[in-house]
Parts: sequence; C-alpha cells; structure tokens
Amino acid sequence: MFDWQFFVLLMSNGILIGLMYSLIALGFVLVYKATDAINFAQGEFVMIAGFVVVAFLFTYHMPLWVSIVAGLVAMVAFGFGLERVVLRKLIGRPIIAVVMATIGLAAVLRGLGPLTWGADTKNLALPISDEPFILGPLFVPPIQILGAAVSLAFLAIFGWFFLKSRKGIAMRAVADSQQVAMAMGINVERYFALAWAMTGVVSALGGVVWGSLLGVDVHLALVGFKVFPVVILGGLDSIPGAILGGLIVGIVENVAAGYIDPYVGGGTKDFAPYVLMIAALMVRPYGIFGKRIIERV
Amino acid sequence: MLKTTYEADMALYPLPIARWTVAAIAVLFFVVLPLVLHEYYLSIINLVSIACIGALGLNILVGYTGQISVGHGAFMSVGAYTAANFAVRMGAPWPVNLIAGGLMAALVGAIVGIPSLRIKGLYLAIATLAGQLIIEWTINHVTFISGGVQASIEVPRPEIFGFRIASQTEMYFFLLGFVVLAVVGTMNLVRSRIGRAFVAIRDQDIAAEIIGINIFRYKLLAFAISSFYAGITGVLYTYYLGVANYEQFQINVSIDYLAMIIIGGLGSVLGSIFGAIFVTLLPIVIRLSMESFGGYLFSDAAILNIIPNMRLILFGGLIIIFLVAEPEGLNRLWRNIRSYFRVWPFAY
Amino acid sequence: MRRALAILIGLAVVVGAAGYVAANHEIVIGMQCDRTGATQTVGVNLCPGYHDYIKLVNSKGGIEGHKIKAIEIDHEYKVPQGMESYERHKKEGAVLIGIYGTPHTYALMAKLVEDRIPGTSPGFGSAAAADGQRYPYLFPIAATYWSQGAAAVKFAKDQLGGNLKGKKIAYLFYDNPAGREPIDVFEDIAAREGFQLRTFAVPPPGVEMGAQVLDIAQRYRADFLIAHLFGRSPSVSIKELKRVGFPLRKVVSFVWGAAEADIEAAGGWSVAEGYNAMQFAGVGSNYPVLDEIRAMYKKEGQEPPKEMNSTVYYNRGVLQAAIHLEAIRNAVKDKKSGNITGEDVRKGFEKISGFTLGGLVPPLKITPTDHEGGGLVQIFTVKGGKFVKSTEWFSAYNDIVAKHIKESGKK
Repeated sequence: MFDWQFFVLLMSNGILIGLMYSLIALGFVLVYKATDAINFAQGEFVMIAGFVVVAFLFTYHMPLWVSIVAGLVAMVAFGFGLERVVLRKLIGRPIIAVVMATIGLAAVLRGLGPLTWGADTKNLALPISDEPFILGPLFVPPIQILGAAVSLAFLAIFGWFFLKSRKGIAMRAVADSQQVAMAMGINVERYFALAWAMTGVVSALGGVVWGSLLGVDVHLALVGFKVFPVVILGGLDSIPGAILGGLIVGIVENVAAGYIDPYVGGGTKDFAPYVLMIAALMVRPYGIFGKRIIERV
Repeated sequence: MLKTTYEADMALYPLPIARWTVAAIAVLFFVVLPLVLHEYYLSIINLVSIACIGALGLNILVGYTGQISVGHGAFMSVGAYTAANFAVRMGAPWPVNLIAGGLMAALVGAIVGIPSLRIKGLYLAIATLAGQLIIEWTINHVTFISGGVQASIEVPRPEIFGFRIASQTEMYFFLLGFVVLAVVGTMNLVRSRIGRAFVAIRDQDIAAEIIGINIFRYKLLAFAISSFYAGITGVLYTYYLGVANYEQFQINVSIDYLAMIIIGGLGSVLGSIFGAIFVTLLPIVIRLSMESFGGYLFSDAAILNIIPNMRLILFGGLIIIFLVAEPEGLNRLWRNIRSYFRVWPFAY
Repeated sequence: MRRALAILIGLAVVVGAAGYVAANHEIVIGMQCDRTGATQTVGVNLCPGYHDYIKLVNSKGGIEGHKIKAIEIDHEYKVPQGMESYERHKKEGAVLIGIYGTPHTYALMAKLVEDRIPGTSPGFGSAAAADGQRYPYLFPIAATYWSQGAAAVKFAKDQLGGNLKGKKIAYLFYDNPAGREPIDVFEDIAAREGFQLRTFAVPPPGVEMGAQVLDIAQRYRADFLIAHLFGRSPSVSIKELKRVGFPLRKVVSFVWGAAEADIEAAGGWSVAEGYNAMQFAGVGSNYPVLDEIRAMYKKEGQEPPKEMNSTVYYNRGVLQAAIHLEAIRNAVKDKKSGNITGEDVRKGFEKISGFTLGGLVPPLKITPTDHEGGGLVQIFTVKGGKFVKSTEWFSAYNDIVAKHIKESGKK
C-alpha cells in the first residue's frame, strides 16, 4: 500500500528545499557565466553575508530591514573587492588555479568569520512564523516558501536581464569571448565587477534565508557543498539550469532518504544526487542546459 | 659529457656533483637527523614523509597528466582498510598488506577514473568528489570492510625479521625508506614512455590521440598509479597510527593534498616534496610562533581562540598568495634561487 | 613581488624555529581541543572551563603544592594534527592526555599503551574502552554512547508510562561511527522490552534532514525519538521537528545535542520547549565550584568569561579538569615528590570514587575494570526558558551494556 500522503510531503519538501539550493547555486552560476571563474567559496559567501546581517541585528541593534540592506551592500563591496584584488590576477590561468584560489579564499573566510564575529551560533529571526502552513495533507514551512519565492524571483529577474537588457547581453558577450567583446568596445573589467556584485546580492539573500533556516555560524558555509551536483546537473553557466538542477537534487535527495535509506541503513541522501550526476554527465557532459564545447578531431 | 653505455646515458644523476649532493642528503637524513633531533621532531618528519608519498601520487595525476581529482583521501582509506583487513583477518605480514592496499586502491582509482574519458575540468573534479563520497559511505556502511560499527581496525605493528617497529625513531627509518622508493620511482616514471604519454595528454590531448597515444588507457593508468600511491600512503598511515579509520581520510584531506601540490609546484617531484613539507608544517609553525610571540599582542585566553582561526586564514591566504605571485609554486622559487646562485655573483 | 615572498617565507621559518616554550617542572597535562573545526561550538566553551578549573586549583596552591600546567593544542578535529599534538604533549612531559574527538581516540589507542600515558574521552570515544582490562590506558570517565543509549531508552520508557511493548521508537543519528555505535545496544534492549526500533541516518554535515524528520513524524509515526547528533545538526533537528509538528517533549537527545547553544541556534528557548537533553555533567550556574571560579575572576578585577554562560559545555570542561586533577591528586599522594609518570596517573584514575564536586560531577566509581565509572547521566528539560532537572543521576540496562563491553573485548 503506497503511502500517498508521505510521498506528497516528500515531494513538496524536495521541491522547496531544492529551490533553496538553487538560490545558492545561482551565485555560483552568475560568476561562472560572466567570468568563467569557478567559485568554490560560494558557501562561505553565504556565511559571511549571514554574519554581517546578524552583526547589524545584534551588535548594532538595527532593525531587520536595515541589517539586510547592510548585508547586501557589504556583499556587493566584497564581490567588487575580491574581483579586483585576487581574481583579476588569475585571468587566463588553468582552471585548477582558480579553483584552488577560491578554496584558499574559503579557508580564509572560515577563519575570519568566527574570529571577527565569534563562534557561537546566532539566530536570524525573520518575521515569519515557525509554524507550518497546513494545506490539506501538506505541511509547508513558511521559510521554505520564502526561499523558493526568492529563487524564482531571481530566475525571473536574471532571465530577463541576460536575455533582454543591454548590460545582460554585454555580459554574455564577455563570457563568450573576452577579446572580441573588448574589440567591440565593452569594458570587460567593469562587467566582471558587475558579475561579482550580482553574486554578492544573491549570496546576501541566500545568507538571510539559509541563516534563518539553520542559524548563523561558521557551519552555514557547509551549504556550499550542495552547489556542485546542482550546477553540474543544470549546467555551469545556465540560470534556468540552476533552478532545474536544484529541483532535481532536492527531489532526488528526499526520494533517496524516504525510499532507499530504509533498505541500506541510511545515509544515501547525500550522494544519491552525485550518482545521478555522474550518470547524467556520461550522457551530457556539460549538464542539461550547459554550453556545449565541441571538440572535433 | 660523453657516455659510453646506454645505462650511463639514462642514469638519473649523470653528473658527479649531483651524486655527491644526493649522497650528502642521504647521510643527513639517515644518520645525522635521527641522532640530533628529539623524537617529537622525528614524528613531525614522519608525518611529512607520509604526506610526501601521497603528494607525489597526486602530482602524477594532476600535475603530469592534467586531470583533476578530489578523491585522493578516499583512495587512501581504501588502501588502509584493505591492508587492515588483510592483517587482521588473514594475519598477513605487512609487505603483503602494503601491496594489497596499493593494488586495491589502484583498482578503485581506475574505476573512479573511468568518467575521465568523457568529462573534463571541473566536471571531472566533481565526479571524483562523488567518488570520494561514495567510497566513504561504502566503508561506513559495509561492516565487512569496516570491521564493525566503529569502522576502526587495529593493526599490529610491522615487524622486520622479528624487530618490531613502533617508536617514532623506528618509524622514521621505516617511512624514510618508502619515501626514497617513491621518489626514485616517480622520477623514473616521468622520464619513461608512460610519463611522456601523461605529459602529452596534459598538454594537448587531441594531438596526443592523433599521434597514437591511447588516451583512455593512459588516463586510466594515471588514475591507477596515482591511487596506488594513495593506497600506500593510507597503509603507511595506518601502520604509523596502529589503527585504520576512514574519518582520517575525508574530503579535507583530499583538499590538503591538492594544496600541497599546487603550493609545491605542479608537475615536479621536488615540488611535491616541498608542498608536503609546507602544508604539514604550516599549522605547527603557526602555533609555535603564536605561542611565542602572540603573548605580546593578545591575552592568553584570546590566543587560544585566535591560533586556530589564524591557521585557517594563513593556510588559505598562502594558497592565494602563491597562486597569484608564484603560480608554479615553491619548486619554481627553488629553481630561481638555485639559478641565482649558480651564476652568482654575475647575476646578469 | 617574488622577492617579498621569499623574504616572507624565510622570516616564517626563522620565527617558527625560534618559537619554543621550555617546560619547567610542574605537572603537565596535555589537552586537545577543537575551536575551529566541526565541533567548534563545543570546544570554544568547554576548553575555557577546563582552563578555569586548573587556574582555580593553581591559585589555591596546586595539588599538594605542585602547580598544574595544562597545554592546550587545537587540532581542528583532524587526525594528523591530533597525532602531532600528542607527540608535542609527550615532549613537554605530559602525564595525562585529554583527548578530544572520537576518531582521535581511536587513532591514539595504540600509542597511549606504548607510551604508557592515560587518555580520557568523556562522553565520546569508544564505548568498548570502558573495559579497563582490555584498554588499560583509556578512560571514558563519563557515560559512553552505549550507556547513553540505554539511559535514553529508560527515559523513554518512563515517559511513555512504564511500558514499551508495541511502541515505536525512532533513532535519529549522525551517520558516522560514533553515531552508529549504540545501535547494537538498542537492538538488544528492543528485543527485551518488545518495542519497534527504526533508525534514521543523517549524513554529515547534517544541515538538512527534512526527509528523515518527515518520515519519523508522518510515516513511521514514532512514539518517541532518541537523537544522537553533533555540531549544527541538533539545532537543525529541533527546527525541523517543530516544522513537521512532532512534539519536542517526545524527544531525548544524547549529550552532544544538549547545550544552550543548540537551543539558541534552534530559535530560542520558547521554540524548544519540552526538549529533553541528556547530560553527563551538571547544568546551570548553581554549583559551589562555579561560584569559586567567579570569585577568582572578581579578585583579579575581571569579569567572569562569557563562556561560563554556556553552562552545559563549560561545566563539562570543569568536570574533565576536576576528574583529571583528582587522578593526579591520587597519584601524588603516593609519590610526594610530585615526579609522577603516566603510569601513576593511571593508577590514580582507578581509585576515583565518590567525588562529586558539589553535584557537578556524577558519583563516578572508576575501577581497574570499569573505566567508565558507571555510565551515569541526568536528563534536563527545557522548561520556561531554561534547563530544568528532570531526573537524578541514573544509568540503565547495565547488564546489556556490560555484555557488549565484554563481547567487544574478545575481538
């Protein structure tokens, strides 16, 4: 007898949490799409954003909306600064150099965070209740709805931005070929900076939403690990791919936890998305929506 | 320099001065240091020795063949558990366990490397990350491998002709022997046909395919050899500690080894050694200097909180600095120093 | 740029080599701690508690006139660093090691025996190490995961009306060796008491467990939940359980999901109302030894450290220090010169009995065969904004636990 109610609950949980994963993945995709840089420190960005917001909330006793704006500003400035100081010097290097640079950055942030703001967990209380909405058989936590809404909003905004607005098209040109873009008169460096700033915004909101879900401390950075199966499945440089990848990962995780775990003693939910990812990669090496780089002999 | 035999031409150290230098280093490590240094320092060198072997292996895959792998830690745990199971279930002597651990890790490594034919770059890195997670889960959950819920298997100390190797000093010689083997092996490997094939794959894999190098076979071989080294590293670590436990070989270990070869220098034997030394010693040096000098800047209680965070910051910061300033790592730095002195005082 | 880099490296090497702290003759204890890794929320509060107690004892003249020096080394919860810190402690002449972390306990098992230095692992480590015959140099000195598991079942039994027959118990755990350790014990107790047991694993790092919690609450519909989580996952579990509407009074957590920090991270005391937490040290500020520590700080003209407010972990640090010093006191009683070795401290441990430090420490009795001290725990419940004691010190199903200890000793 198949328990439909449980299945529906699992799916709804999977979809909502998947959209929250997408929120983090979006930051990653934005950077890669515009600058070809791979940001292994995405989770740490979210963590720093969370730290800044709670610092304004608790240490400076600012109201919530001021703190969130402060977080946005801080992350945008951080993105700018990072791009200027570190990433500009690494343009053109092999991929592993940029990867390791962001891994190094992640370590620095993980040390800097607790050092500056303390190691105890702070609670980011958003003005939404903890009690779940009950829609028939569904228990839907409001925070997940907020996160999903933010993700979808970003999908709409960035989708429009890259497709229709001048700046967006320019950014895509920069991503396609920097040299040609420069030849067409596009200020490549400025667009790089813009891309990192956009990542900052996404990270800031991700920090607020996830910080509210998990509490803000150094471990908030761990959500960064979820990024990888999401962007690989969806394609490293595709915004709708980030959303779709997030949904797939969320659903697969929950299905694995609900239906496979009991038979194998648990723990499959973490690597089930990775297994799916490898299978997908063998068929489509650049993700479902990713850019195909065709190598012909 | 004229050589009259093929062996003389292919020798690792053709010049007499090179041979003298190697001999001097050997004397230093095998004779002088054990007599002069306290056991604590020898224990640090032991940790570095083990790391060297692992770093050499990873460099073969990443530096020479151009593939990215984040699964090095998992291959070490494969080697460790294979050896531990052989030792405990069958009472096999340590050389058997060592080889068995290495071979098993090589096999698993080759399997994890299969996707490398289709996928490259970051995608391959994440696929190896998947390998790391899956291997961890398997060891954690399959009690046949892990020896029980605790996932910890105690192994008896290695014995050579009845002489039990247990203390740090004894371990020092034991491990140093393997480091020498690994270094010589790697140096010969990269000069051989296989090594050249690896480099060809890294530089221009399509061109390599055209001139007849079977990419798939050599990529798998690179994964296998690199994982063999990793397996040996895991086994040696197990014998060093006396116990095999997969929690010692998690993703942070894989990242540490990547840091080692990047800081040390991709694609160079000396670089792997430098990198291993650097990354292993860094936390220790930071702690020592904070303990001596931190007292001037911060209170006692604050220091204890600052030291570990500083370590993370410096670790990450140094990686970034190296990548920005000296992308070819410590190896290049060393080369520069050497060539500076070679022509000194006529620097220009 | 490159020259600057070279100079930097040279400086670092020189500074590192010059940094060296010589040890003078005090009694040295090696203390491992983790202030930056996975369990940093614990270490950041526990280790100051440890140091404060040592400071208090030293301020009163030390142990029989000998001062105690505790050297703390942070190992980021990584094993190579843990090994290196052990060697460093050994070099400084430590006669006792306060291990921190289950993988480190396993890693050091062989070395402690070879070097004849006792090590402690309160509230974590290997449950089999309670067997003092098999592991003479390992001292859990507090309830191991087997004892905690047994006590949790007993608590559940009491909460569910004294009878577990036909009831459903869920075990939510962190998917690593420490988390899986109590499962065998649970199964044995389930066979005896007649309840149904289902396990739910949370893979590390445990920041998302929606599916497992949904299963527990909506599909399996457990009557009681026993949780064994570390790091961030306990607070996440509290939030998730609330979201699916599982009452927190039907939850009991093992000792590492039981601190103020977890409650606060979960959203505060009002959110976690009813949550039951197992402790192996007393909770709260109402203990004479804590008053003494506060007085000590006042005398120096300083405020007591803020870590004292995190009483669960801070008190555990105090407990660990207190038991360590008690063992040293026993050792020094036999060797007045104070020149004690690890062997002496080991014997000192095995004489500890009836030492309760005003109720902060359970009435442990450590013997040559029982290095755990009886497996005693207390349950505290979140009521009205703070932890309220729900039970006295107790242990349960001692025969089943003893059976497992004996069986693992045979391996």
